[in-house]
Amino acid sequence: MNENEKIMTEAESLSIISGMINRARNRFSETGTLYLLWGWVILVCCISQFVLIYFLKYPKGYQVWFLTWLAVIYQFIYLAKIKKRRTAKTYTDEIAGFVWFTFMICGVIMVFILIQLKAYESINPLILVLYGMPTFLSGIILKFKPLVTGGIICWLLAILSPFINYEYQLLLLACAVIAAWIIPGYLLRAKFKKEN
Amino acid sequence: MFKELDPILHAPLRLAVISLLLSVKEAEFTFIKEKTNSTAGNLSVQISKLKEAAYIDVTKQFRNNYPLTICKITPKGVDAFENYVKALQSYMHLNN
Repeated sequence: MNENEKIMTEAESLSIISGMINRARNRFSETGTLYLLWGWVILVCCISQFVLIYFLKYPKGYQVWFLTWLAVIYQFIYLAKIKKRRTAKTYTDEIAGFVWFTFMICGVIMVFILIQLKAYESINPLILVLYGMPTFLSGIILKFKPLVTGGIICWLLAILSPFINYEYQLLLLACAVIAAWIIPGYLLRAKFKKEN
Repeated sequence: MFKELDPILHAPLRLAVISLLLSVKEAEFTFIKEKTNSTAGNLSVQISKLKEAAYIDVTKQFRNNYPLTICKITPKGVDAFENYVKALQSYMHLNN
């Protein structure tokens, strides 16, 4: 009888089961990179559009948002790299991925509808409502409080936005990405470095 | 009456592999090897036995010309694991 077939006691069996489940569960795979990428890109876009509209009186300030296409390209390259390096896929990774996918689809459809309806001034307040959803849910899934708080801050800023002029709504959006993505992004990165 | 322990699961490395695969959606051979602290040869043998029992699905792919083995627990494997834990519990009750 080799080592693999040796008789185990009930206690030994239970200790193997709980040990393995913990080893898989404690694996924290969120590096925060995409939170930081999108946080900084959106922040730069918001502030630039605000400066162009408010100080330089340039009406086509929205053109800065074309910068997001570069972020999309970088994201595809980054995700392909991650996929190559990953040796196990957890249920958490999968659900968190789908939450962000849902957010992206909803965001694109919503902006498309609002542009068709020429309701340009509703875009930022509704984007704030939408930002809160994946941020809050990711916080719950990853058991990471700064993201939960970030999601709630997005919703509070969304409630505030109808009472604020269009140009200043861009600054609310900037506050939202700092609270929901940039700060949690750095905290996630620090947590990842500490645990891996 | 106490239930009989499933001989396929009642072996340290096979039980470790099944417990690990229960917590993740899928895992590569290298991940399982690292987490279970086993040797490649021994792990291959045990993975084959679990596959023969249809407790896990094993797919082989290539990545950058290197072979890649991906393992995933099957519904039959999950049932077997549940029954194993129930059987363990009945043993524990008898001993207490």
